[in-house]
Amino acid sequence: MDGAAAELREAHRLAGHADRVWSLAWNPAPGAGAGPVLASCAGDKTVRIWKRAPDGAWQCTDVLEDTHNRTVRCCAWSPDGKLLATASFDATTAVWEYSGCDFECVATLEGHENEVKSVSWSPSGSLLATCSRDKMAWIWEVQPGNEYECVSVLQGHTQDVKMVQWHPHLDILVSVSYDNSIRVWADDGDDEWHCVQTLTEDNNCGHSSTVWAVSFNHKGDRMVTCSDDRTLKVWDTSADLSQPKTGEGHESWRHLCTLTGYHDRTIFSAHWSSEDIIASGAGDDAICLFAEEKNSMVEGPSYKLILKKEKAHDMDINCVRWCPQDPRLLASASDDGTVKLWELKGSVLD
Amino acid sequence: MDHQPQSDADFLEPSVLLDETHYQEGFKNGYHDGLSSGKEEARQVGLKMGFQVGEELGFYQGCLDVWMSATRIDQNAFSTRVRKNIEQLAELVSSYPLSDPENEQVQDVMEKIRLKFRVITASLGARLEYEGRPASSKQDVEDL
Repeated sequence: MDGAAAELREAHRLAGHADRVWSLAWNPAPGAGAGPVLASCAGDKTVRIWKRAPDGAWQCTDVLEDTHNRTVRCCAWSPDGKLLATASFDATTAVWEYSGCDFECVATLEGHENEVKSVSWSPSGSLLATCSRDKMAWIWEVQPGNEYECVSVLQGHTQDVKMVQWHPHLDILVSVSYDNSIRVWADDGDDEWHCVQTLTEDNNCGHSSTVWAVSFNHKGDRMVTCSDDRTLKVWDTSADLSQPKTGEGHESWRHLCTLTGYHDRTIFSAHWSSEDIIASGAGDDAICLFAEEKNSMVEGPSYKLILKKEKAHDMDINCVRWCPQDPRLLASASDDGTVKLWELKGSVLD
Repeated sequence: MDHQPQSDADFLEPSVLLDETHYQEGFKNGYHDGLSSGKEEARQVGLKMGFQVGEELGFYQGCLDVWMSATRIDQNAFSTRVRKNIEQLAELVSSYPLSDPENEQVQDVMEKIRLKFRVITASLGARLEYEGRPASSKQDVEDL
């Protein structure tokens, strides 16, 4: 790097959705020789697929519609990049098969009592998790022939569950909720899933208001959560909670640090890049980027702000996602109905 | 009783007592009427609620009967996991305290039953639902 100050440059503005864009997902495996593929979902009940054309401009190549009859709240690609799951306020989750050019809806998962808020694929691609305003999370197993069986229903949250996210390597599921808590779920090897840890304000320096999102780092030994309490919290998740407790003193996940004062509205989204940069998007229409402070003398890791991009959008930012193929490319989605692509330029290292 | 010279209070006493007597009679009549109409209403409500619970449980038992018959014909009609769920639902339905409506667990057991049923139908990809019940398990039971 040339040592210039870090800068987040707006590279593209993707317009097309007719309502607020809620969530984004980059295809983790778009195929040999294919460029990055981005899915966005919105209040207009559709999902749009965006690709970079040979001339560098981004185009909407597909619109997935006529399936959900309410807002599509979240979308997620399977690890092999061949399936796209879309979660909707219509209480269903649709699964689409992506052949590299076409999309076909191959399954519809019903079961939640009301709005589905989030969907996440396990690292192996064999499990799918969904969560809903009905306070529960469901875990589904993919069967041959596009059949999905419910493995377990996770009960424990006392309010709307906002997001579910699998650990990058282990079969551990994290859920975050309007009840201000973060719950960690693992199974005992026999389809019995239990809550193995709950991170709250009282017990663990947890959030004091709705927790909106969670993101793990590449290694899986750290996770970041963001909240209506306007903070981001970083957690040490190195303990393998998928292993049954053996005797006393089993480890647990613990709070590492809290980032306060960077956003003055609800922080709706946070995402950890493969270069260990945390991006956050909030109701103050701004995007912040953070990196670990390497020279820190305080006990435990601390994080510093790299930059704050004010007025990144005209309205609330609902989702921020780093591109897996280009860790300096960031996508953001907003209530203003647009998706923006940003390039991180300059030096982010000390 | 003393035969003291009558004071003002004593002078009014029969009027007051008359009032009191009428009140007591009115109370007694009202209470009896209320008792019998209350009993009748309660009987109606009990019949209605009992019917609703019975109908819902009967629906699940009916589904269970069909599923278990299918399994007897073909052991592999359902996956291991779905078979286990069906067994669990059967246990839950038979554990419902039918003769003990005052049991605090009833609402809890019914919700477990409803959820387990949804897990089975979701796994079978079957659009099967007990039509009589409210969409949200937290709603009150609706009038028939």
